[in-house]
Amino acid sequence: MSELPPKSSIRRWFLTTNHKDIGVLYLITALFFLLFGGLMAMLFRVELLSPAADFLGESGYNQAVSTHGLLMVFWFISPFAFGFANYVVPLQIGADDLAFPRLNALSYWLYLFSGLLFGVSFFQGTTFAGGWTMYAPLNTPAYMPGEALGATSVVLALIMFIAAVTLGSVNFLTTMYRMRAEGLRMRDLPIFSISINLTVWMMLFAFAALLAALMILSSDHILGTHYFSYAIDGETFATDADNPGSSMLWAHLFWFFGHPEVYIVFFPALGIMGECFQTFTGRRLVGRKWFIIAMVLVALQSFIVWMHHMFLTGINLNIKTIFMATTIGISLPFDLMVFSLIYTMIKGKVRFTTPFLFSLGALLLFILGGITGVFLGAVVLDYQFRGTYWVVAHFHYVMVAGATALFGGLYYWYPKITGKMYDEFLGKVHFAVYFIGFNLLYFPMFIAWETPRRVFNYPVELTIWHNLSTVGAFVLGASFLIMFYNMFVSYFRGEEVGDRPWEFATSAEWAVSSPPPLENFDGVPSYASGKLEFLDDEEVARRTGGQAGHAGTAADGGTGGAATDGGTASTDPAEAGTAGGTGLATAETALAAETGTAELTGHDEHASHASFWPFLISLGGFVLFLGLSGVRTGAMLYESLALVGGVVTFGSLVGMAQEPFYAPEPAIAERWPFENVEKMKLGMWTFLASDIVLFGAFIGSYAFIRFAYGWRAWEHELIPEAHVTFPGLVNTYLLLASSFAVVLAMVSAERESKWGVLASLGATFALGVGFLINKGIEWLHLFNLHGSEAFPHGWDLTTNLASSTFYLTTGLHGAHVVIGLLIVVYMFVRTWGGAYMGEEKPIEYFGLYWHLVDIVWLFLFPLFYIL
Amino acid sequence: MSHTKLYTIIFGVLFVFATIQALVEQFISFEQSYWLAFGLIIALSVIKALLVAGYYQHLRWEPRSVSYLAGGGLLVALALTAAAAYSIV
Repeated sequence: MSELPPKSSIRRWFLTTNHKDIGVLYLITALFFLLFGGLMAMLFRVELLSPAADFLGESGYNQAVSTHGLLMVFWFISPFAFGFANYVVPLQIGADDLAFPRLNALSYWLYLFSGLLFGVSFFQGTTFAGGWTMYAPLNTPAYMPGEALGATSVVLALIMFIAAVTLGSVNFLTTMYRMRAEGLRMRDLPIFSISINLTVWMMLFAFAALLAALMILSSDHILGTHYFSYAIDGETFATDADNPGSSMLWAHLFWFFGHPEVYIVFFPALGIMGECFQTFTGRRLVGRKWFIIAMVLVALQSFIVWMHHMFLTGINLNIKTIFMATTIGISLPFDLMVFSLIYTMIKGKVRFTTPFLFSLGALLLFILGGITGVFLGAVVLDYQFRGTYWVVAHFHYVMVAGATALFGGLYYWYPKITGKMYDEFLGKVHFAVYFIGFNLLYFPMFIAWETPRRVFNYPVELTIWHNLSTVGAFVLGASFLIMFYNMFVSYFRGEEVGDRPWEFATSAEWAVSSPPPLENFDGVPSYASGKLEFLDDEEVARRTGGQAGHAGTAADGGTGGAATDGGTASTDPAEAGTAGGTGLATAETALAAETGTAELTGHDEHASHASFWPFLISLGGFVLFLGLSGVRTGAMLYESLALVGGVVTFGSLVGMAQEPFYAPEPAIAERWPFENVEKMKLGMWTFLASDIVLFGAFIGSYAFIRFAYGWRAWEHELIPEAHVTFPGLVNTYLLLASSFAVVLAMVSAERESKWGVLASLGATFALGVGFLINKGIEWLHLFNLHGSEAFPHGWDLTTNLASSTFYLTTGLHGAHVVIGLLIVVYMFVRTWGGAYMGEEKPIEYFGLYWHLVDIVWLFLFPLFYIL
Repeated sequence: MSHTKLYTIIFGVLFVFATIQALVEQFISFEQSYWLAFGLIIALSVIKALLVAGYYQHLRWEPRSVSYLAGGGLLVALALTAAAAYSIV
């Protein structure tokens, strides 16, 4: 653990794990990517001044459009919102920091380095040019010019980005369910925190599906599997298509993520609008309870509408009709929210400050975006509008409306973050120029809706509208010069503000100084009395019966009392610890490493705020992924980068696991509905829930492709006779036995039997290694079926669909086994040193992971070996 | 019954069920009754998974909210698979 240097030191920003610092880093980095994505937009808007590729050229245009979409959706909007979430949510819920501060820093650095990897892709020939939706088969190297290394980098950058997102989701959910101030029920959270809670729930599941899609795609790129290829051994895909499910599989996986993503982007904006409407009308949100219920409904419904993006594909009419109904259905809760905001204005007294103007502007733009979206939810209208600028205009009115509210959030919390007030006049000028530029840019697209999407040419008679759009783009872009000037100058010359510069702001971040102190609150926040109070140590001790961490629990009924179960329970350092795997900073390894070190012993130790390992792990991940992007070329440079990156990542993960780091849970807190689930266990289960979706999407992809191909024909035509049940059965025995051994290790630790733990962990390791050896023998045998008539070149990853799905799905499972075994080795060594005696929790946490790996195999075995 | 004994019995059940799955083809002809065999084999996998989750992962003794959390992930994956497979013409 390092000491945290002052803010003026550059070292601080590499070391910090404090949520407010990380929030600021997110905000600044996201604004950089706004400029990056905005630059791409400017370039292709210039191209669109005339209906010919006379500026960027065809490929340049495709790259600019694709990267604009990817950068704005992934690297700007959500991370910008999570800058606020990082800064504000712990303050609003009464926590000192997030549950896993180092994981939070790791999320940020993975995000930054994923963006840098994206940037590097421009220098590898061409970057990704297949549109932000990355439709198959144009997302595979076979349909890309040149070596397509830049495109592979983009795919890998997205995987790295999702690692950051998953860690963030686990962290926020654990924090919000384990660290709320006493008496603060979920329903009583400030509306912004509620919006973030629902957003991270959606992120946890939706991004896992996208991760599956991208891992499969990267396998198609790097290993040569065939999930997204139309033709595997035919001459052309027009006549020899032997993978009828390829492009549909991508569309399903992508849009299963993609539609929740719309709300992932928009919900934080809604939360900010809610905050600003309340603060600047001076009254509570009208129908607040119903507003929250509507948000919950949308979050749930968001997972059952994705096929409205696929009405023009070959899905059947029944499913189109069902998804039309669910899509129209999801607009209803939004109606309620819109009317709630409108009535709040009517019932209150509006103060037209800059944050309010941006929030109001966002509402107006969203209403137009929402209404025009309903058109696209109707199958017959969608047939007409799909693939036109109607869609482009609609989704920019939705997504950029969200961004509009986020800019309002920047003005709203700027005084809290900096302690200085921005220039109100310049803020209003920014809004005026922004609003004019926005509508000048996007509204003409509705008029010129017949313009086809994704191509640089359009009917000549529409030129005037496209020229207006281009002028609007520059006006919109110029408006940010005003914002940046205002923010920069105000930081040095702005008027100092107190705790609460906004008269009617009520949430807890306004109850502390601007900017807040490092650990947020002087006392322990509590709402048990019905209003915010800060308890001193004596009062906390009294409420916990003098034994923080072992008192009773309080349900979400806000009944007060001590809510402390496990609050300061002992968690041994670095137990669950090592991590690693094959160099990739996977969520599970990082989570395990994070666990590791929160040595909560109940004594008065200061919380830690600094660690260099998150930066190093992410740097290693960046080098590793850069190497992987070109490893298929066999170039020494790329192979070396992959090796060095892998070593740095693995070493850094071990370093992080070894680092002493103290991240306390509050002594008293509201923890419904996870009162009796300690922080680490909840974090692990939350991560496993996302891993279930990842594996589910892999298995679902296999099932989908096999259905599309013909379930029984698959077995007869694509699988060699040599692929028999026996190796799978042996591996089932081995894995079941290893699970049992982990259970015995836990029992032995409970009984403080060192040799029992060592023997059980040793058995787990031996059985896991046996599993891998058996798999290796089986694979080698199948690779080399040279005597086979049907498969004269053997049966490897590239042979056909069945081999691709078999090796990749069981390979993903095998990678989980490898990661698990590395953790077992680490735990074995620690046990040898005397750890875990009477402290079996870390073994239990590891067991949760290992048993899930076992469960997954229980389905892979029948699906890939028997059926 | 001690937990260790319970864990051991469950291990035995898991072992036997895995063996039965591998032997199903000996008793039910895949050519004639493929989907019956499919249902039986997958049902055995589901039972095995529930045993591991319920006892080895202790979900039986955890607050119900933890099961809902894991079940949420499962529901999401099943919804994707079922709807996508159903959409095939």
